Amino acid sequence: MPDQISGGGRKAAACLALLLLALATGCSLYGGVMPPSPSGDPLNRVHGVPFYAQEEYQCGPAALAMAMTWSGLPVLPDELTSQVYTPSRKGSIQPDMITAARRRGRMAYVIHGADSLSSEIAEGVPVVVLQNLGLSWYPVWHYAVVVGLDRETGEVILNSGPTRMKRTPWRVFENTWGPDFWGLLVLPPSRLPAVAEEKPWLEGAVGLERAGQPAAAREAYASAATRWPNSHDAWIGLGNTRYAGGDAEGSAEAFRRAAEARPDSGIAFNNLAFVLNELGRRDEALKAARKAVSLGGPQIETFRRTLSDIERAAP
Amino acid sequence: MRSKFSSLVCLTVVLCLLTLNVASARAGLVSTEASMSATHNVENRAFVKAQLQRDDVQRILENKGLTVAEAEQRVDALSDAEINRIVEQVGDMPAGGGFFGVLIGAAVLVFIILLITDMTGATDVFPFVKKAN
Repeated sequence: MPDQISGGGRKAAACLALLLLALATGCSLYGGVMPPSPSGDPLNRVHGVPFYAQEEYQCGPAALAMAMTWSGLPVLPDELTSQVYTPSRKGSIQPDMITAARRRGRMAYVIHGADSLSSEIAEGVPVVVLQNLGLSWYPVWHYAVVVGLDRETGEVILNSGPTRMKRTPWRVFENTWGPDFWGLLVLPPSRLPAVAEEKPWLEGAVGLERAGQPAAAREAYASAATRWPNSHDAWIGLGNTRYAGGDAEGSAEAFRRAAEARPDSGIAFNNLAFVLNELGRRDEALKAARKAVSLGGPQIETFRRTLSDIERAAP
Repeated sequence: MRSKFSSLVCLTVVLCLLTLNVASARAGLVSTEASMSATHNVENRAFVKAQLQRDDVQRILENKGLTVAEAEQRVDALSDAEINRIVEQVGDMPAGGGFFGVLIGAAVLVFIILLITDMTGATDVFPFVKKAN
């Protein structure tokens, strides 16, 4: 007698169905729908990514080696293990993946979310992702490399574990992708990602400097200055790394651009004054140093010292 | 004799290291990292001051008996670290979410600003805050 189900029962059933629907979709940010392709192509594939099958617990080095080799720096997972893998944890933590890339002169750029992932895959850049293949309270962390998105079948194509070009339904991938939908790009420092933002890129460049890769840092600052010509910090970085590389002329030019980008920057004028003085252009150096002191700021003591050094070096 | 000699050596080494340090810390190029943190500080201070220009924030300040000019002067008196703490707290607010663009609740914002100025001793709005001397 199905037609005799009471109204209350029907309502309860409807509520339960709604609740189940909410539970099923509620935990995924994009509701299980793959973001559209920026290029309009249903299939985006990344080319030139090698495949290294991972050994036990070695998904971090394997994923990083695949991305790094794609970026033009051939390397095998074994060579990265000591820099990435932490034996006591039987795994590799995200910061170690980032520093390992920097230590080899590669820009490590972190992205978040499905839209950024989709943009980068469309640009032909592989994305290292961190997945939890277990449960939230019993996590099984795993690194894999996204090498394609197929919107016709609704699948993500991954180099993962022992499998090359493993196809996973988007919904499954999305539910395992975490925490924070973290993705890592490993790039030559001259190649800005599609989704690049000024601050994180410059922080990556500073990281390259810290990792003892001045030439790579210089390239990263140069590409930042090209993309964001009004970025004071990009020009400061370029000036500092050019000077460190023995290119004083180029350094002075970069500091001049920094001062143009931000005419109230004492740092730009101070650094310009220092380099001009090294180049023997004392009058210009004095002028810039005085300007820096007049602008002031937290580094005023350095500015004063630069000025007095130049004055003391009087002919 | 020997201890005198070794203390002399120690003293010389220490003095050398000190002068080396001072020389490298004082003159020359300001690092990119220092420049970036200066940029960050300038942006954060501008953000806090821009928030004080909002109508809803000004209304709440007035309710608390503060003029905008007074609030601005108090913000001016905060160090960079304190300003950064305000911005950090605002960013941590679940409803606030974003940095620029997303509007943060005026009451929350005023609360945080006054909380920090309270802690530094610039204001005395909240009795539960331990004052800096």
